[in-house]
Order: sequence, then C-alpha cells, then structure tokens
Amino acid sequence: MAAASTVLVCRELRLRQFRNYAELDLVLPRQGVALIGDNGSGKTNLLEAIYYLEIFRSFRGAPDEQLVKFGADTFYVRGRFQDPATDRTLEIAAAYDRRTRKKRVTVGGVEPERLGDAIGQIGIVVFSPSDVAVVAGSPAERRRFMDIALSLNAPGYLQALQRYRQTLRQRNTLLRDGASPSLLAVWDHGLVESGARVMAARANWAAAHADAFANYYSAISGGPAARLVYRAAAPVPPGPDVSVEDVAQAFRAELARLAPRERDRGTTLTGPHRDDFGFELVGRDGPRDLREFGSGGQQRTAAIALRLVEAATVREARGREPIILLDDVFAELDTGRARRILDLLEAEARGQVILTAPKPTDLEPRHGELERWKVADGTVTP
Amino acid sequence: MAVIEELTGELARLPGIGRKTAQRLTYHLLKRPAEEVRRLARAIEAVADRVRACSRCGNLSESDPCAYCTNPRRDQSILCVVEEASDIEAIERTGQYRGLYHVLGGRLSPLDGIGPAELSIASLMERLGNGEIVREVIVATNPSVEGEATALYIHKLVQPLGIRVTRLARGLPVGGDLEYADGVTIAEALAGRREL
Repeated sequence: MAAASTVLVCRELRLRQFRNYAELDLVLPRQGVALIGDNGSGKTNLLEAIYYLEIFRSFRGAPDEQLVKFGADTFYVRGRFQDPATDRTLEIAAAYDRRTRKKRVTVGGVEPERLGDAIGQIGIVVFSPSDVAVVAGSPAERRRFMDIALSLNAPGYLQALQRYRQTLRQRNTLLRDGASPSLLAVWDHGLVESGARVMAARANWAAAHADAFANYYSAISGGPAARLVYRAAAPVPPGPDVSVEDVAQAFRAELARLAPRERDRGTTLTGPHRDDFGFELVGRDGPRDLREFGSGGQQRTAAIALRLVEAATVREARGREPIILLDDVFAELDTGRARRILDLLEAEARGQVILTAPKPTDLEPRHGELERWKVADGTVTP
Repeated sequence: MAVIEELTGELARLPGIGRKTAQRLTYHLLKRPAEEVRRLARAIEAVADRVRACSRCGNLSESDPCAYCTNPRRDQSILCVVEEASDIEAIERTGQYRGLYHVLGGRLSPLDGIGPAELSIASLMERLGNGEIVREVIVATNPSVEGEATALYIHKLVQPLGIRVTRLARGLPVGGDLEYADGVTIAEALAGRREL
C-alpha cells in the first residue's frame, strides 16, 4: 500500500450535551487510546462524536435529535486535529438544536456554504460490530456504505448522487401520474448524466479494490479468499477504468428497454438506487455469496476487510493516513482472527487508533502501548 | 392590540420572516415617524396597484407591454428565457444583453405539480411563431435539476422551428481564485473549456 503523505490526529475533543455526556473535555494522546468501560457507559458515543466531525451524521444511523442529551436542547461537538509533522491544526465543530432542527458546522471557524463542502476534512474509518449488516443486510445497507465511502473519497460523487436522487424523485412522480413519454424524456437526460457518474465511480472503485479486499479477507481468515463484486442494476461495463460515457450509454439503453414496464409499474426500475454489491467466497464448486451462505465469522471478516479497503481508499484518494476507530470489534472473533487483524493494522495503519473494549485485553494494536482510559457514566478518567 | 396583531400576522406571511421577526418589524415601524411608515405603505400599495405582468414577455412592469418589449433599439431576433421576472434584473445588470425576454413563471417540477401547462410555454411558442422574427432562443433557466429539465423541454419544442437554441455556459466565477472554487464547478469549467 502507498504510504500516506499526511497524518491528522485528534488532539482535543469537547462535547456538550452529546448523548450521555453533559460536559467533556479530553486531550488525546497522538498514538491513540483504549477506552475501557462497561456496556452502556458511553464508549461508542465518544467514537460517534469524533466521526460526526467527518460526515456530520451519526455513523450508527441515529437522527440528530437522538444525539442531544436527554433534557437538553442543543449538542455541541468540537475537535482539534493536528498534523504532528507540521503542527498544523484544524478545528472542526458541529452543533445541533432540536427545537429549530438546525445544524451549524464550522471548519477552522468558518461556516461552509454547503454542508457537503465540509464533509471528509479529516479522514476517519470506523470499525463497528454493526458493520456486519453491510455484508448480511439488505442492498440498501451496502449502497449506504458505498455512498459514504465514495462521497468522502471520490470528487464529485456526492453532488452527482444528490442530483440523481432529486431527478429520480421528479421522474417517479411523472411515472406514477402516467405522464407522456416526451415529458418523461426531459428528465431522462439528467437521470442518465448524474446516474452514470455514480455508477462509474462505484464500478471503478469496486474493481480497483477487488484484489485488496481478497487479500485482506484471506489474511484475516487465514484461509480461502473472498471477492468483492459490483452488481449494478443496469448492465454497465466493468471497471476499473470504465468511462462515464460508456456507463451512460448502457444506462440509457436499459432505460429504453424497461420503458414499457416502467410505465406499467409507475416507477424507475433501473439505476444506482437499485444497485448492490456482493461478497463471494471463492470455492471449488464456484463462488458462494457470503450474504446467504457465509457463517457469522465469515461475514464479520468480510465486514472488517471492507473497512480495511476503505482505509486504503482514504490513503490513496486523499493522501492521508486515516484515524482508525475500533468499536469493540474483537469481541465476537476468535483469537486467531483478532490477532491477524491487529497485525494488518500494525503493518498498514500508521495513524491514531482509538478503540473501545468492555475490559482490558491483550488484543490491542500498538503492542499494548496505548494508554487505557476508564469510561463510566458519562465521564472519562485517564 | 388588534391592528398591531394584524400587521404582525401579515408580515409573518412574507418569505423568510417568522413570527418573531414579524413582531420586531412591527415594533420597529411603531417607533418610526408616522410619515416614514406611510411612505412604506404607499410604496407597497403602488406596486400592488400599478405593477402587472407584461402580456408579451411576463416581465413585471408598470406599462404593458413592458419597456423591454417596446424598446425599438433592442434586438427582436434574440429571446432570453428565464424562470422568474427577477432573473431579468440580474441579466440586465451585465449591460451585455440587448435582446428580448420571456418569463416562464417557474420551472418544471412534477413534485410540486408544475408541468408545461403551469408555465408560460404556450405563449412562448406563440411569440416564436414560424421562426421568422426570432432567430435565437437563449435558455437561462437555473442549473438545478429542474432548470436543466425545463431547458431540455424548451429545446425539444423550439428546435424543430429551425431556431437556434443556446444555453448559458457554466463555469468559474469571474474574480474568484481557482483554489477556492468547488470541485464540481471546476469540473464543469473543464468540460466547457474553450480554445484560446
């Protein structure tokens, strides 16, 4: 893997009325920290707060109202991130008021014109037990993963996705109301233009990282490899170098083919909103889909391999060593797998590591050199 | 209290003004000299009484047809299609455009129940007639998803008449630094680059 040129670590974290924290000010070690505490003590809430500063949404999918401490109206999160080599710092803050439902974000003290301009300033990858849903859950879970990863790492992806969704809503309204084909055609252009950019980015990302995923998977499982495959709703040409024009052509043709059925069903039947991607275990009797046939351990392994791919994507696309957040990820893995994941992180992730665990364990990266802090009832004790 | 309440209520119906701001505006007006407040009232009354949509282009004006439509020095062969009358102001400020206008009164948006029939598209086609007077239509709708769809719709209708249909270019803002432009704008500007 290519070495990242810059490192950004979280040095200070301030929380006000966030989840179970009324008031918290932490100065974090450069290397990272191990947060030890019982279930429900608020370990994951801390990781959630840090990651909030990357995408300004909860990585657990919680709506902003739920992030405000019970009985309070506004939460505030602020992080100071530092490049240890240059001492350059970046301060990112976010506040949400549940009465006005307004979110205010500042990057270096300046409010961005659009929230989309502010996302992905830091470079963070979070490993969570709920990641298994990306492998075992519905296609919507996998699209959500892909959309977040590509919005953060592929220039123009988020804008294309937003335009696609808006066009799709307009077009579906027309289809539902039985509008004429000529009126529908006016929206097809925008649908194809934005949708093709989304699908090309997905196809190219999946193809470019298929080998890395397979390598991570077999390194963790210590056995056979699994492949990452993009399953586009439209028959788009395979990556990793497919052009937006070629994808647009395939998408346009598929729309034309489905046009009569779309008029019957009153909705758009092809496009990125119906995409999926899969994880296939390569075996002697052909590929087997991990979603259907994988064991719990195999699905968890695939989920972790996927996050390692995401970390590699941050390194390549943004030239930055990501901060790694590990939310109790070793709990349900056998010691062999956990050890091998640690080895991978040791070898590749040179940035800050912040992990949570219910009790102290040997399974910690940085050879157990991380400080262990105790988390209990909304307080953190170094 | 009744008239105070009434004014606050009316102000609160304006876009971007909530109940609190409306109240603040009301009490601000009450502190100003009566003549100044009457002047405001008269100005509001005057626009309500005298301003009408131009029956040709849809521009908001005190005369009908409006001053652009009746100005003999303006180029009758070019028509610039905009979403709202307020867009005309923005184009006029450039001082670079000498043609006529046509106001659509919105943009296509099925989600809001706005189709071609809700926009001044029939009257646009009427003005273009058989393509003898107007030689070019500049579509200056917004670069939003809806504005683009509207532009395409107009293009499809107008092109068969043998009239040239053009679209405003998208790109970098003048006076802005490249490093501060967002990625999408730079990508658009790259795609629409031109020969030096």
